[in-house]
Amino acid sequence: MRRARTLGIVAALLLSTLLGACTQPLEQDTGASTLEIGATGEPAGLDMITVSGAGTPFVLLYNVYETLVKLDGDGNIRPLLASEWTTSQDNTVYTFTLDHGARFASGTDVTAAAVVASFERSRSDEATDQIRAKWAVVDAIEAIGDDTVEVTLTQASNRWLYEMTGPAGIVADPTGDADLNTSPAGSGPYEFVSWDEGASIELRANDGYWGTPARFDEVTFRYYADPNAMNTAMLAGQLDIISNLTTPQAIEQFADESRFKVYEGTTDGEVVLGFNHRTEALQDLKVGQAINHAIDRQALVDAVWGGKGTLIGSMVPPTDPWYEDLSDTYPYDPDEARRLLAEAGYADGLTLRLRVPNLPYGPPSGRFVAAQLEEVGITVELDELEFPARWLELVFTNHDYDMTVVAHVEPRDLDAFANPDYYWGYDNPRFQRLIAEADAGTWEEQVTKLQEAARILAEDAAADWLFLLPNIVVTTTDISGIQANQISLSFDLTTIAARS
Amino acid sequence: MRHVTLYLGAGLIGVIVAMAVVGTFWTPYPPDAVVGPGLQPPSAEHWLGTDGLGGDIFSRLLSGARICLLIGIGSVVAAAVVGVPVGIFSGMVRGWVGEIPARLSDILYGFPALLLAILFAAALGGSTWTATMAIALASIPAFVRIARAATLQVMSQGYIEAARVSGTPRTAVAARHVLPNIAPAVGVQLSVSVGLAILAEAGLSYLGLGSGPETPTWGRMLREAQTYVFSAPQLALWPGLAIAVATLGFNLLGDGLRDLLDPRLREIR
Repeated sequence: MRRARTLGIVAALLLSTLLGACTQPLEQDTGASTLEIGATGEPAGLDMITVSGAGTPFVLLYNVYETLVKLDGDGNIRPLLASEWTTSQDNTVYTFTLDHGARFASGTDVTAAAVVASFERSRSDEATDQIRAKWAVVDAIEAIGDDTVEVTLTQASNRWLYEMTGPAGIVADPTGDADLNTSPAGSGPYEFVSWDEGASIELRANDGYWGTPARFDEVTFRYYADPNAMNTAMLAGQLDIISNLTTPQAIEQFADESRFKVYEGTTDGEVVLGFNHRTEALQDLKVGQAINHAIDRQALVDAVWGGKGTLIGSMVPPTDPWYEDLSDTYPYDPDEARRLLAEAGYADGLTLRLRVPNLPYGPPSGRFVAAQLEEVGITVELDELEFPARWLELVFTNHDYDMTVVAHVEPRDLDAFANPDYYWGYDNPRFQRLIAEADAGTWEEQVTKLQEAARILAEDAAADWLFLLPNIVVTTTDISGIQANQISLSFDLTTIAARS
Repeated sequence: MRHVTLYLGAGLIGVIVAMAVVGTFWTPYPPDAVVGPGLQPPSAEHWLGTDGLGGDIFSRLLSGARICLLIGIGSVVAAAVVGVPVGIFSGMVRGWVGEIPARLSDILYGFPALLLAILFAAALGGSTWTATMAIALASIPAFVRIARAATLQVMSQGYIEAARVSGTPRTAVAARHVLPNIAPAVGVQLSVSVGLAILAEAGLSYLGLGSGPETPTWGRMLREAQTYVFSAPQLALWPGLAIAVATLGFNLLGDGLRDLLDPRLREIR
């Protein structure tokens, strides 16, 4: 087996070198420092206000566009364009003071008027529903003088300031080109150069950057539809970084420590075995608990995701301040599962439909879950749906399913369970109240209330949290400053450096 | 030794049929079950090792043989049932009435068979049923063509003229004189088409457009092996080998039948 693997790698190396030799003449060393980043989800457009998807902020947030406040690698909110901010007694009025030096890449100052214009656009009809929803709690946005912005909320909201660190809070250059979807213009350390659709996005250093200068002259994000092709490019030395290895089984290819460094961190992507709470059998708490007891989640991660992934037990990743390890709430115990099923009146068996999307984790998770549920007497009708169209139609919109497996990658998405009309149909007034109180309360209240909310989800067996997707970054040995955990939506270039 | 391809083909098909029969009644482990850690090398317990999820590869291979034969043979028989009468009709009826079905089937032939099957399966969603229908649809033109060409040849024979002069109805001529005489050509096409259909089924399953995930088809096994192509390349070996044996078997059988039944048929193909 070892020899076969080596042979495979040698063959792949040969092939990629040959292909590389055919298509790309070797680059001359011009003294410019460049960074080549391999990535998978290509953006659908470059304006993250009007185009949804994680691909756009991944490249542009914090790199080309900046926000008033920023999320750092530990999940804390830090000043960026705003050098400081204050809040009123009741936490409904935020007053931001802009950094005096802040300038857009075009050379014009970042003024309060520019911030207000960007924010108003972000909450206008032009924006996607997702972006606009983040502004729902905002009453008024006002510029006071040239360097102060005052935002008035209808009620206190911890969530809102957090959202300002993301796409909804970006500040665009008002003097820039009209179409931000093709030529993004911001105040970040990098400027947008070009987008070769289907292949790459190129950035270059903003020479007049107002903060710490960019460490690279040119940065290119290269997109790969096939993760194996990206791995091969990395092995062949065409890339400096793989921004997220989506085939953890392939991690052994990068075991050579003299060439590669591998970072294993966490993401916000909870892979949820979701229950349809409108299904009669699944309204019974004991059935949900039985399913949780029936699945050996560690074995599942080992089999499905190469053992890379964290067990969480509820809808909170370890990088959120209110994380508690709830992964032991329902230890793997098939006998207990059978007992609970019998108690619920399903001693003679139960048939449930499991409809998984055809995403990399979907079919294997489905097969594994089905096999384990069969062990305790639940017959599983496994079905594979094309993602996104078929899955969105049947599961998400029509609620025509009993169980499904989907990774929920949005940050801090615990509150998805507070919406009874969401596809899970989980309706718990106590949980909903806690979410609302956490948003309106103090920082400490937010933490304790969300901890309690997460525990309720686990106790209610509202779903089975199979595992948390890992963030696996591979770099060449001369790259440093990689943030192992993917916390914000940005692939933040400002911390990355190269030894040369 | 004469008819070597015939015997070799029949032998290979025999292996697949035996696997299908055994797999229907017995597999060492349930093919869908997770029976241990993933990626185990072959051992006494797991003859061909385990796949990425810890399923027994040998059990899955056995149970995949049945579905492969079922879809392969089922779709081709369906295609022949439609295509052969159309071909005979088109060969017997002179003028534009006979031309129309032939030209229509030529148009269908113009689409690459696998692409047509993908289109069909994608529009209706993947399942055993749609995969069978899609492959059947794509296999029809070959039967129309073969049946028509052979019918045209038969129609020029003296005994056909004799039958017509004596007042035998056209349908009776088709059933009594044409069909038996074109049977060898159709038989050869049947065998060759089954080989192609098995390949097409594997292709559809590989793309996720074939049978559902509860059915361990060989194409699906190949797809699952793709993730491990560098770390455990042997996973792709077994289903690949099985598909190759089945396809080769039916192709050799077809060639052998052609040599056996009518060497002149070589000109037609």
